[in-house]
Amino acid sequence: MSSTKIFQVQGQPLPRVPVRNHGMINSVVCGVHIISYNRVSNVHNRTSGPSLGYVPTRTNEIPFLRGDRNGRFGRFGGKFVPETLMSCLRDLEDEFNFVLSDQEFQVELTAALRDYVGRETPLYFAERLTQHYKTIARTTGDGPEIYLKREDLSHGGSHKINNALAQAMIARRLGSSRVVAATGAGQHGVATAAACAKLSLECTVFMGSTDIEKQSSNVFSMKMLGAQVKSVEGTFQDASSEAIRNWVEKLETTYYLSGTVVGPHPSPLMVREFQSVIGKETRRQANQRWGGKPDVLVACVGSGSNALGLFHEFVGDEDVRLVGIEAAGLGLDSGKHSATLAVGDVGVYHGSMSYLLQDDQGQILRPHSIGVGLEYPGVGPEISFLKESGRAEFYTATDQEAIQACMLLSRLEGIIPALETAHALAFLDKLVPTLHDGAKVVLNCSGRGDKDIKTLIQRGMPSSLC
Amino acid sequence: MATSGTASTFRPSVSASSRLTHLRSSPSKAPTSFTPRSRSFSVSCTIAKDVMADAEKTKAAGSDTTMWKRPDSFGRFGKFGGKYVPETLMHALSELETAFYSLATDDDFQRELAGILKDYVGRESPLYFAERLTEHYRRENGQGPLIYFKREDLNHTGAHKINNAVAQALLAKRLGKKRIIAETGAGQHGVATATVCARFGLQCIIYMGAQDMERQALNVFRMRLLGAEVRGVHSGTATLKDATSEAIRDWVTNVEDTHYILGSVAGPHPYPMMVRDFHAVIGKETRRQALEKWGGKPDVLVACVGGGSNAMGLFHEFVDDAEVRMIGVEAAGFGLDSGKHAATLTKGDVGVLHGAMSYLLQDDDGQIIEPHSISAGLDYPGVGPEHSFLKDMGRAEYYSVTDEEALEAFKRVSRLEGIIPALETSHALAHLEKLCPTLPDGARVVLNFSGRGDKDVQTAIKYLEV
Repeated sequence: MSSTKIFQVQGQPLPRVPVRNHGMINSVVCGVHIISYNRVSNVHNRTSGPSLGYVPTRTNEIPFLRGDRNGRFGRFGGKFVPETLMSCLRDLEDEFNFVLSDQEFQVELTAALRDYVGRETPLYFAERLTQHYKTIARTTGDGPEIYLKREDLSHGGSHKINNALAQAMIARRLGSSRVVAATGAGQHGVATAAACAKLSLECTVFMGSTDIEKQSSNVFSMKMLGAQVKSVEGTFQDASSEAIRNWVEKLETTYYLSGTVVGPHPSPLMVREFQSVIGKETRRQANQRWGGKPDVLVACVGSGSNALGLFHEFVGDEDVRLVGIEAAGLGLDSGKHSATLAVGDVGVYHGSMSYLLQDDQGQILRPHSIGVGLEYPGVGPEISFLKESGRAEFYTATDQEAIQACMLLSRLEGIIPALETAHALAFLDKLVPTLHDGAKVVLNCSGRGDKDIKTLIQRGMPSSLC
Repeated sequence: MATSGTASTFRPSVSASSRLTHLRSSPSKAPTSFTPRSRSFSVSCTIAKDVMADAEKTKAAGSDTTMWKRPDSFGRFGKFGGKYVPETLMHALSELETAFYSLATDDDFQRELAGILKDYVGRESPLYFAERLTEHYRRENGQGPLIYFKREDLNHTGAHKINNAVAQALLAKRLGKKRIIAETGAGQHGVATATVCARFGLQCIIYMGAQDMERQALNVFRMRLLGAEVRGVHSGTATLKDATSEAIRDWVTNVEDTHYILGSVAGPHPYPMMVRDFHAVIGKETRRQALEKWGGKPDVLVACVGGGSNAMGLFHEFVDDAEVRMIGVEAAGFGLDSGKHAATLTKGDVGVLHGAMSYLLQDDDGQIIEPHSISAGLDYPGVGPEHSFLKDMGRAEYYSVTDEEALEAFKRVSRLEGIIPALETSHALAHLEKLCPTLPDGARVVLNFSGRGDKDVQTAIKYLEV
């Protein structure tokens, strides 16, 4: 499947399109289908390079402000960083724009995604889960159909590798000799360590001390893959800060590999682009399977990388509902949760403007979730934008609901999901009864739950299982 | 119909038994005729004579592999294999065999199985060019072999085991069996079985040695999470072989409604043939992928051998291709002279274990020697009868690798390719150290990357002091 790209002359910035009252501009063309507007021709005129040729159109296009030149999604995003980092980020942006249209890079990436990561991941019809909801509803009709996009089958066990691999390739091109990353549940750490091993890059991963304890199997894996694992007092947010500090100290030789769609521009854009392969495959597979599109997309939201990876392809398809589920931890009233979009306020964190969990003094709160990968006080700026513009809906699920969902999928489909993914699965209980017969739900099965077995044993599992 | 006094016994036509090399047969390879056998002939005294006749024929065929009966109608590979089981199981075994043959040509079954292998298991698994490992083995003059991994580690549940488990569960369903039993050592086969039983809604009972249950608490929990009942076996040494005996006992008692999912190419006929054929998809894909990638066949196939299922899965497709070398690697544990190893084909003698005649580790009194390997999956005192046959016929070569060498390979491949191999697979990887220097420039080696090593990282870290 070929995608039309704006050809980019190396070093030249992407064409800027005027913004009017947070109105409509073309979506930044980053290797995906170009949305066709009247204003596309403006962009053509400003582009230096070969012309676009045929621009495929999508139906019912409602343009969205999704990433202008300064990395803003509406009022969210941006580059809130010290001056020392600005030129570095600019270089990164240039390289990123270049590789998007660089044939050599794309071919190498595609081959690696196929042979190393194991793409494309299946779109799996969860027959017994679908039946389960039909039985509960005591319906005589067909009921909604539930499909799982099997990112759990990717190398490393989660979607994180899609991004880690591509960025490690960029790091190598930029001539960096070492890569630093921060990880919560460890999945991004493992993915980064794996990609660095494969591309012979030195790798240092920062991880919160509490997380190290909870996801020790991932720590072992990272070490096995040759990465240095540095413990940081606290959790992911602290590890992130430390990783960024470490990066800034050694800017010349170091590449900061962000695992999710937060951070200063171009991180949110880059990570989303590399994860968007999920949605692209889903479109093709859905078309093959039932000759149409999904009706509802469901994904868990920590910072938002797996959700955007699935959603991005369909944002322009008005008839596809986008549903994100955050972690409600011990309950929204308990103060121990990670439901940034539900109860957070807008502020600047880790380089970008977005919703975040903060107190009255603007101090960052410490989130909680049994799904360690969801434990982040912020959320990607593009996600904040999708919420505010009403394009996507966001709900929450508690620790307990996630555990129940985890057990349900294990028992019914023989797939043990990651606890993060289990949050999205938990929401099906509320979602499915509201859908019409034959509605096609695609849920991003973002990771497998091997890393969570110890947690499940320790917390809230019925004694009959131990 | 067996006529008294004569040597002739009724048996299916040659094409049914020897040419049923894989399930997804094209019409030309399907059995050209299959006629049901009468029940009475199965205990005729003329069997012995015919078996020897078959063994003679095979020997006479010499190196013409296409003349080999693999297996013959009695489930023998030369003198190996067979059905050394209590009378009560004979009917179940022939029922199984009949069902297996008929499903080979059943389009519905084939379609369902193919769909599950694709969407649930995640096939086809990639044939991955291990660039850095190839570089590692490159000689000073720039010459060296090219190393490819067949990525069975990317399958759902992380090993090749699921190919067989899924197919047998489907077969059991077709037979109307509601109850599945299996034995397991470290738990990998148990988890694979529990997984497929959850997927197909079958009752699942796993027998596991009490000692093993203690050492593998995480896998026990996994199996229970997937809805299986795990029964501890306290007799004997409370390990795998005792669990196997208990499982067989259960099967004998409940043969009407129970199917026994054997995890490897060992056991009584038709299991060695069936399990091999269910794993043969590995070799079939490899042939196609090799053709696509380099327009030819592999030069050498390498796989680790415990019971032998992953090796047969890769080898089977190529047995008739004389120019393709086949190498199996067993576990030498603490060393072949230490008495603590599992190198059945190197140090064993012929005998009968778990229903089949094959090489096995036995002392002078014919008692089974407790094997040892750091990798639980290779820790088996027997080996599949077909491997014994291929060894005797000189078609395949078998070597062994110590715990230490395997651990070195475990670390080496993790660091060089960013893929953590299972300790079992590490044995095959370790053998490359001895193999590669002897191979001509450009020789293409396909190694069956039979499983991922997440489960082994903790063990390895202890030994490697990483």
